[in-house]
Amino acid sequence: MLHYLGRRASYSVISILGLLTLVFFLTRLTGDPSALYLPLDSTPEARAAFAHLNGLDQPIYIQFWNYLADLLRLDFGESMRQHRSALEVALEAFPQTLKLAFVAMLLSLTLAIVVGSMAAARPRGLFDRIATVVSLAGASAPDFWVAIVAILVFAVGLGVLPTSGTGGWEFWVMPVFVLMLRPFGLLVQVVRGTMLSSLASPYIKTARAKGLARHTVVFGHALRNSLLPVITVAGDLSTGLINGAVIVESVFGWPGIGKLMIDSIIQRDFAVVQSTILVTATAIFILNILIDLLYAVLDPRVRY
Amino acid sequence: MNPTGIVSLVSAAILAGAASPVLAQNASHDIRIVLPEQPANLEPCGSIMTNVGQVLNQNITESLTVIDAKTGKAMPKLFTEWKQVDPTTWHFKVREGVKFHDGSDLNAKAVAFSIERMTGGKLTCNNMAKFGNAKLTVKPLDDYTVEIKSDRPQPILPTLLSVVMVVSPKTPVDKAVNNPVGTGPFKLTTFSTQTVVLDPFDGYWGKKPVVTKATYVWRQESSIRAAMVETGEADLTPSIAIQDATNPKTDFAYLNSETTAIRIDMDQAPLNDVRIRKALNLAIDWEGLAQLFGDDIQRASQMVVPGIIGHDDGLEPWKYDEAEAKKLIAAAKADGVKVDTEIKLIGRNGIYPNGAEAMEAMMTMWQAAGLNVKLVMLDVADWTRYLQKPFPAERGATLVQMMHDNNKGDAAFTIPIFYRSSGQYSSLSDPAVDKEIDTAMAATGEAREDGFKKIFRQMRTEIVPDIPMFHMLGYTRVGNRLNWKPDITTNSEIPLANIQFKN
Repeated sequence: MLHYLGRRASYSVISILGLLTLVFFLTRLTGDPSALYLPLDSTPEARAAFAHLNGLDQPIYIQFWNYLADLLRLDFGESMRQHRSALEVALEAFPQTLKLAFVAMLLSLTLAIVVGSMAAARPRGLFDRIATVVSLAGASAPDFWVAIVAILVFAVGLGVLPTSGTGGWEFWVMPVFVLMLRPFGLLVQVVRGTMLSSLASPYIKTARAKGLARHTVVFGHALRNSLLPVITVAGDLSTGLINGAVIVESVFGWPGIGKLMIDSIIQRDFAVVQSTILVTATAIFILNILIDLLYAVLDPRVRY
Repeated sequence: MNPTGIVSLVSAAILAGAASPVLAQNASHDIRIVLPEQPANLEPCGSIMTNVGQVLNQNITESLTVIDAKTGKAMPKLFTEWKQVDPTTWHFKVREGVKFHDGSDLNAKAVAFSIERMTGGKLTCNNMAKFGNAKLTVKPLDDYTVEIKSDRPQPILPTLLSVVMVVSPKTPVDKAVNNPVGTGPFKLTTFSTQTVVLDPFDGYWGKKPVVTKATYVWRQESSIRAAMVETGEADLTPSIAIQDATNPKTDFAYLNSETTAIRIDMDQAPLNDVRIRKALNLAIDWEGLAQLFGDDIQRASQMVVPGIIGHDDGLEPWKYDEAEAKKLIAAAKADGVKVDTEIKLIGRNGIYPNGAEAMEAMMTMWQAAGLNVKLVMLDVADWTRYLQKPFPAERGATLVQMMHDNNKGDAAFTIPIFYRSSGQYSSLSDPAVDKEIDTAMAATGEAREDGFKKIFRQMRTEIVPDIPMFHMLGYTRVGNRLNWKPDITTNSEIPLANIQFKN
């Protein structure tokens, strides 16, 4: 196990370094930041001074070399926009996204497992039909539209929830609801499909023949064997959420890393772009390792 | 407890939880302002940026002078009086009895420090853009008198000094700060990724503001910001979209200092023919186009708004006359001008609400008049290449969508940039015009105003280097408990000291 973890970690470090190198050069291709940071009527002298102060007047290979040297000292640079450590900016935003993603995924997964299993227990029954319609609608609804409508109904119309922002539990309701719609819809379909397959298996027939209770057969025997594909899809969806729920963060004013990343790209805040990608890439590698370990827990045949 | 009881209890809890912030806000003179974007930083040297200035200017930091929104003239603030000693030398009196939030005294040395910090070149200072390449030498003459010398005549130095935000002498000279210490009626308490909080400064030299605390938050979506004021979560939000300004009781339209226009590339055929440039102005159905920007929009005849020194009130905007436009194009064609040459209309994504729609409409109208105009929409960085010198060598004939903001009271912040040969956005190269501009720039009083008016008139009637479109409107939603209205300065500052309450 330790050998496996060590191998995965070393691969991850190499991948992250490759990614950061790629991001370094791609961000520089987007153009000169002084066009965005200085007023349009700035003089050429002011633009030259800006480039000099930020080291942008040096050849790209010198800039890259300096970047690597700074990385070795764990110096990730300073945000040109916010005038403070870029890593600090990224690490402030990331927990906000992580908390939101964790709650949304936990609720999505739990609800999807229950709803998907119950739907599969009586295929084509009333509950199955309702669950299919609701889950497909959830997976297909544009989150931007759902978010705006939710604000209009619950904040402006009924006045029972705040429009946006962060704070007590009431601020979580709409962002979590909007964020979990798509994962919930997809996972319900995955759970239902894998459960239908499991419930048709010979060992389930044996369990039923032994006279086990219906819920024991469904949740105790069939569900466990159906979880591996569900975990795979849930892992993939979690990766998307960790990368930042840009729309939800923008609409609800949630200070997460997705919006920060997009803003930094648009504003050519190179150091922040690199830091946000470093933070999210590291988190995604850790998440993938956790998912691999979870496979081993759920399926005794999987060993590392 | 039965299910109905549980539902009632949960609903009551939700209502109580949601209502409490609103009630708490109503009970005091604390206010909450929701901005369209997070302030990038709180460096006073960059306070001409809207998102920084709306928090800092006249709240935390104060300027040396302020511009009267109606007359465009420089008025006292931290400088109380001034006189011009010779064309390059001014003497200023510093307001006495003023303290910084850290307890330091405002005096001539502190003023010199702030100006030198801004002009010293050790940090990126956006406010310096207003000074161009001017070099200033500041010398305290006594505790409360400052002498400022410039390397060239600066007849409007008091106006220029309205962008100098005075900071404590303890502020780092070579490092931008996010914890500004000024002399304003409010001091910074919190600056986080979610909020900026300002509390009153007890040692303020002026009248004590009615506002007891100001909290700034930011939401990108205009509809969300408007909803926050409607629900009482916020008291005020600037810059909402026209489609969200639906409530006449709370939504105020105001003429901001922005003018939209199209710059004509006068170097390139067929745009180097004045008949084509006039035809471009005549071919637009201005009334129809105005519908994109709301009922109160004002047509522009020049690149500055009324109230700016140099604005010519008698200058008529171009009228819509498609027949005349066609006639001018036909005359040019008859003289051998290649009127069917492709003209690129360079638009910028998101430059102002409905900006792309306006460009599409104008392109269609020009095509209808017989010109071969093609629209190219670009993001800001690519668009800037066409706007600023050096222009791309292989650009061909171009028209560039632009918006100019002059809220500094004087056409000196506009004319040299757009019409002088050396101007960053100028496609005009005419020594005679340069001379007129230099004369007007060096003049004072009526001669200065008349000089600028003459140049605007010449541009409108003879040279036609641009297509002035509209003086733009901003829309601000103000909550019911506030007694405050936006004005031309709202895009650059929201002075909390001016905000009153209805009750």
